[in-house]
Amino acid sequence: MRENSTKITNEILQFIDQHNLNLDKAEYEDDYNRLALELFQYQFQTNLPYKKFCQARKKTPLTVKHWEHIPPMPIQVFKHLPLSCEPIQEAQAVFMTSGTTNPDAKGKNYHPVLSVSDASMKGPFKQFVLPDCDRMTIFVLSPAEDLNKHSSLSRYLTNAVTYYGTDKSRFFFTEHGLNVDELIQAIRACEAEQEPVMLMGATFAYVHILDYMKERGLQFHLPKGSRIFDTGGFKGQSREVEMDQLYGLFSEQFHVDRNRIINMYGMTELSSQIYDQTIQSSCLNGTAIHDKKGPSWVKTLVLNTDTLEPVEDGAAGVLAHYDLANWNSCLAILTEDMGYKTEHGFVLLGRIQGSEARGCSIAVDQLLQSNLGGVQR
Amino acid sequence: MSITVEVKVYRTPITIELKEREEIIECGESTFVMKYPIISGEDMKNIASLVKFNRSAYLASMPIAQIVEKIDLAVQKWLNPDYALRRLAEKLVPVVTGYDEEMVRLEVKRYIRTFRKKELLRFLDEEFDQPAMLDEFRPRKTGGMSRAFGPESIFHVFSGNVPGVQIWSLIMGLLVKSAAIGKTSMSEPLLPVLFAQSLAEVDERLAETIAILPWKGGTNELEEPAIEESEVVIVYGSQDTVEKVKEKVPNGKRVLSYGHKISFAMVGREALTPDHYYESIHKLTEDISVYDQQSCLTPQSVYVEEGGAISPKQFAQMLAAEMERYHKKKPRAKLSDEEAMSIQRFRNQYQLEALNNRPISVYFSSMDTSWTVIFHEEAGFAGTPLNRSIHVFSTESLEDAAAAIKPYQQFLQSCGLAVSPNRLFILADLLGSYGVNRISTIGEMNRAKPGWHHDGGFNLLDLVRIMDIERNVEQELERFDPDVE
Repeated sequence: MRENSTKITNEILQFIDQHNLNLDKAEYEDDYNRLALELFQYQFQTNLPYKKFCQARKKTPLTVKHWEHIPPMPIQVFKHLPLSCEPIQEAQAVFMTSGTTNPDAKGKNYHPVLSVSDASMKGPFKQFVLPDCDRMTIFVLSPAEDLNKHSSLSRYLTNAVTYYGTDKSRFFFTEHGLNVDELIQAIRACEAEQEPVMLMGATFAYVHILDYMKERGLQFHLPKGSRIFDTGGFKGQSREVEMDQLYGLFSEQFHVDRNRIINMYGMTELSSQIYDQTIQSSCLNGTAIHDKKGPSWVKTLVLNTDTLEPVEDGAAGVLAHYDLANWNSCLAILTEDMGYKTEHGFVLLGRIQGSEARGCSIAVDQLLQSNLGGVQR
Repeated sequence: MSITVEVKVYRTPITIELKEREEIIECGESTFVMKYPIISGEDMKNIASLVKFNRSAYLASMPIAQIVEKIDLAVQKWLNPDYALRRLAEKLVPVVTGYDEEMVRLEVKRYIRTFRKKELLRFLDEEFDQPAMLDEFRPRKTGGMSRAFGPESIFHVFSGNVPGVQIWSLIMGLLVKSAAIGKTSMSEPLLPVLFAQSLAEVDERLAETIAILPWKGGTNELEEPAIEESEVVIVYGSQDTVEKVKEKVPNGKRVLSYGHKISFAMVGREALTPDHYYESIHKLTEDISVYDQQSCLTPQSVYVEEGGAISPKQFAQMLAAEMERYHKKKPRAKLSDEEAMSIQRFRNQYQLEALNNRPISVYFSSMDTSWTVIFHEEAGFAGTPLNRSIHVFSTESLEDAAAAIKPYQQFLQSCGLAVSPNRLFILADLLGSYGVNRISTIGEMNRAKPGWHHDGGFNLLDLVRIMDIERNVEQELERFDPDVE
């Protein structure tokens, strides 16, 4: 790694260490701003496509004086350009987005070292997912790192088990897919021994399991302290409704306390995770705050879709995340997720869909679709 | 002083009573209470059979000349700037659709003018050798007699919110003496209702053959009876909408569909001389900006030829400046988050290609999504997310650039053309063979002329059945005249 890369990653690690619990408010804002601007300058200098992107917007380290003015890179760009400060051939890991089989159309986030993203995962996981215990039996429903080395989620899940899992923790996703039978047996064993367990996996993995249980008339009474962790959510616009329904089913089918269900919001294009605060807040003071929040090195802005300027507090807009741990690509990214800010964090509304024309003129989305054979079917 | 006005956004024959729900629109000092109907399948059946009954009792036997007169009287009302319904439309349509007030005022007026009596006569003459054949059997030049029968009833499925287009469809139905059920889109349900109201002011019985109702597309309970009771279905909308409606129509029933289309413009070097280039840019901006590019007649790509007084790139830059000026005068509608983000993505995509050293330049309104110009050094063809976004392609010769449109044949509509006269037919032949069905001047792309061939087809002729009496029949039957020698 370059010398200045080592320097900046050390500073970020130090920030993470120092502000993990976000205690000193006044100092924190200044520290965040200073490091964000330093990181912006570093990325501007070493990430050429990002530099051009910023220049096209007339934003440079000379003109940007506050982190909110750092131009966020749209996530679609991660699909088409290598966004990396360090040479990409030397990356320790390349995480790719899912959803398409064409590797050229996958978003890629290069990690020259994993130490920063690992450190970014470790503290907040404890804070948001396991505030009340040190280790827990974790049953993982999605592929582990060895099965999918290009998945940031797989790395995350493997880390979770390494840092916080008991010896009984297991991965139930094999090269043949999810082994539901063994998972069910293992959950039954936990039930019998009254040992708390945490299920972890992508949201859609649970849909599969719930279907399986429904077909066979199965139900569980997870031992006290058990929890269910899901991530990814549904991509539709009625996200809130669908998640509510899913969590209702979790309570019904697993008899798990609603306050022990947690959703993590993560993206390949980021190096940190954002969580709902259900478990944390219910452990701390018995309230249930479902709003999402990141660690202190991640800030989220809600932007007006028309101007890409911040909206008034409480208004809906498209989310932009500023993640200091994302040191090698772009610390600021523009998502395609809608949300709004609340007193405690933000609420995620769901993915913005492609738009259809209001009138009779054919819009580009439809035209592309038809060229791909979408119209003929 | 605040005034409250109730506005029904639907119309049925007067004996039909529907439950209503209200939506309140505040507009300056007035409060509008918009009354939306709550319709059941049963209601729909009643409405459909009633308009058919009213049609056979009245409209079916009305001479075409009289129908034209009556439509003209309604049109005359709308050409009066002080006409109450026109003023209501000018106030409400901008609020409902978000389009600029001045733009709506101008475009609605221009549009209604295309339905004056002389234009309707043109329209009829364009397609029928003798429009009187809609009234009675008329002799044919080749011998025998023919008469045109319009459908008993037409179900119109209107699309989106280019205000007024629905009126054209309703007038076509009247000209072929059909009852009408019009399904309006929730985004612009108003103008057809107001126009039908004007017809009622002229001739109440005539308006009793028309029902106009807004509902959410895909509501089977309403669409099935509407299709069942109609002889012809006309559907406007996206490929998807058209397909979905077609699926519901039983085999053998006639469906005319007008799917979404794409148009473009070509500016030759002759229109880029020092005395012409500004006008070309100015008019093109108008074509792009009217109704925020929602009409299928509006350009999404422009080919600009090299060799003029300004280069294609300068053209793109000046077009950008003109788009900004236009936006200041007639601001674009506020967009949904989906639409706005689709423009952001569009800009990102081409900025990205520019970053990748592709010969592309991107110009856009810096503060928001109100306009976007993408300049391409190389010829090609592409669509845009609309709402005032446009591609400018540089080309050495328009004749060469035309080949780029060929793969899009099924979607092509109009070409706005500015070249020297001697190139008109060369280009028209070429574009016609690639699927374009209309050439207009620049600045008039959104204003199709009366009697045009919509999407390359006929309008009235496609709606009627022609019945022939062969020429020897009349002679043969003479034998059966009891008085024959």
